[in-house]
Amino acid sequence: MPDVGAPRTFHSKRNLNLRFDIPISKTSRFWDALSEGRLVTTKCGDCGRTTFPPQIDCPNCMGGNAEWVELGTEAELLTFTLVQITPTSFVDHDPYLVAIGRLKGGVNILAWVEGGDPLKLRPGDQLRVEARKDAQGSPYYVFVTA
Amino acid sequence: MNLQELAFESVKEAIEDSGVQKKEIENVTLGSAGGWYEEALPAVAINEYAGFEDVGTMRVEAACASGSAAVRSAFLSVASGEAEVAMAVGVEKMTEVDTLTSVELMGRAGSYLWEFENYGMTFPAYYAMYAVSHMNKYGTTEEDLARVAVKAHHYASMNPLAQFQKEITIEKALSSQVVSWPLKLYDACPISDGSAAVVVASEDAARRLTDTPVWVRGIGFSSDSANLSKRADYVGLRATVDASRKAYAAAKVGPNDIDVATCHDCFTIAELMAYEDLGFCPKGEGAKLLREGQTEVGGKIPVNVDGGLKAKGHPIGATGVSMMVEISKQLRGEAGGKRQAPIKNGVGLVHNVGGTGHYCYVTVLSRSK
Repeated sequence: MPDVGAPRTFHSKRNLNLRFDIPISKTSRFWDALSEGRLVTTKCGDCGRTTFPPQIDCPNCMGGNAEWVELGTEAELLTFTLVQITPTSFVDHDPYLVAIGRLKGGVNILAWVEGGDPLKLRPGDQLRVEARKDAQGSPYYVFVTA
Repeated sequence: MNLQELAFESVKEAIEDSGVQKKEIENVTLGSAGGWYEEALPAVAINEYAGFEDVGTMRVEAACASGSAAVRSAFLSVASGEAEVAMAVGVEKMTEVDTLTSVELMGRAGSYLWEFENYGMTFPAYYAMYAVSHMNKYGTTEEDLARVAVKAHHYASMNPLAQFQKEITIEKALSSQVVSWPLKLYDACPISDGSAAVVVASEDAARRLTDTPVWVRGIGFSSDSANLSKRADYVGLRATVDASRKAYAAAKVGPNDIDVATCHDCFTIAELMAYEDLGFCPKGEGAKLLREGQTEVGGKIPVNVDGGLKAKGHPIGATGVSMMVEISKQLRGEAGGKRQAPIKNGVGLVHNVGGTGHYCYVTVLSRSK
C-alpha cells in the first residue's frame, strides 16, 4: 500500500442551505382549522375511509370526493420516546417527549407531549390533543396528559 | 479517503476475488442513500474512477436497504438474460458532514411534514418507540437490549474489517448516554464510511469463474407506511414479515433451514424484532432466544457474527452488499476462526431494512443451486 499520510480533508467553501416551500393548497382546510384551534381531517365521500394525515385523494378507493370531518381530542397513548440528542435544526430545543396516540375514531397521530413526565408515562394512558402556535404564528398540535 | 477511493477498494477486491475480467461486467448498480457527501451523481463518479466504460449504470435508493436493492437489480439483470455478468456496489461516506447534520438527514427519513418539521423525530427516536412498545408488551428489558450490543462488539472484535474492535460489557452499555429513551449510545449503530461490492454472474459464467459460487436462491421485498403513526403496532416490522414470507417461498426454505443470518440491527431492539419477524422464534421471545445464546456461533441460528450494523458499522448504502459478502464467506467457510458458523444445510439469509421498516429486503443465499 502506498503511504497516504494522515487524514486530510478539503473543506468546501460552498455552503448549500435548503429550505423547502411545501405546497399545502389541497389541505388548506386542515391548516385553517388548526389555526382556529380545531383538528380536522379527510373522510372519503365514496368509501368512508378516514385518513390522517389528511389527503383529498382516497388511498383506499382512489375517489376524489373527500369530506372534512372533526377529529376528537381524546387519545390513548400507544408509544413514546424522550429525544435527548436532537437534530441540527432542533439544537436550541430542550429534550422533547414525542408520542403516538390513537384518537377515538381510529386514526393515530404523532406529536410532542407537553409537560409529560417520561418516567410516569405508560402505553394506555389517556392524552388530549390541543392546538398551538409557534413563535412565528405557525400552527401545530400537541398532546397534553389528561 | 473520498467516495470514489472508498468504493474502488471494494470494486477491486470483488473483481480479483471472483476472477472476472473488468470488461466482462456489463452493468453496475450503485446502492447509496446519498446526501452526506458532495457528489450528486455518485454512480458515474465511481465508475469513472474505477475505469468502467460503456457500462449501463444507475444509483438505487431504498434507504438503509439500498445495498440489497442494488444486488436485486444486478440479479434481475442476469436472471432475465440481459447480462452475463453484472456488479452491485454499495457505498456511503457519512462523515463529510457533522454528526447532528447526519442525525437530521436520518430523522427526515419518514414523513417530513408530519413527523419532522414540528416534532424533530430522529432515527433513534423512531426505533425507541418500537422499544417502548416491545418492552411494555413482552417484558423485554434494557438489559436485554444491552446484550445485543455486547454480542455485536464480541464478534466485531474478531472481524478486522469492523469499525469497533473492542468488547464491551452490559454495565458499560447500560450506563452510556441516553440518545432517545430507552435507547442509549450503545444501542445505536455508529455513523460510518464504508463500501462493499459483489459480482453477479449467470450460471454459465459462474461455473467458468469459480468452483465455489454462492447462489441467489430467493429474494423477497416489501414496504410499509411513511408515517409511523399509520403502523398497526410497534412491536415488529410488517415489512420484514412480508418480505421474509416472499423470500422463503421463492427459495423453498423455511426459517429452520437457515444456518447463519445477518439481521438489520441498526438499533439493538431491531435485532430482537428481526428474530421474531423472520420466524427464528415466536413473537415476543426474541430476548429469550438471545439470552439462551441461540444466536451465537454454536446456537440454533447464529446472527450477525460479523459484528452487525451495531459494531461492524452501518455505512447506509454499503450495508446490504456487505451482508451479502459476509453470508457468502460464511457459506464458503471463509469467515475464519470463532466467527465461522457451522454450515449444515448450506443456506444463509440476509435481512436488510430501509428506514424504520419503510423498506425491507430479504435475500436467501445458498451453497448449492
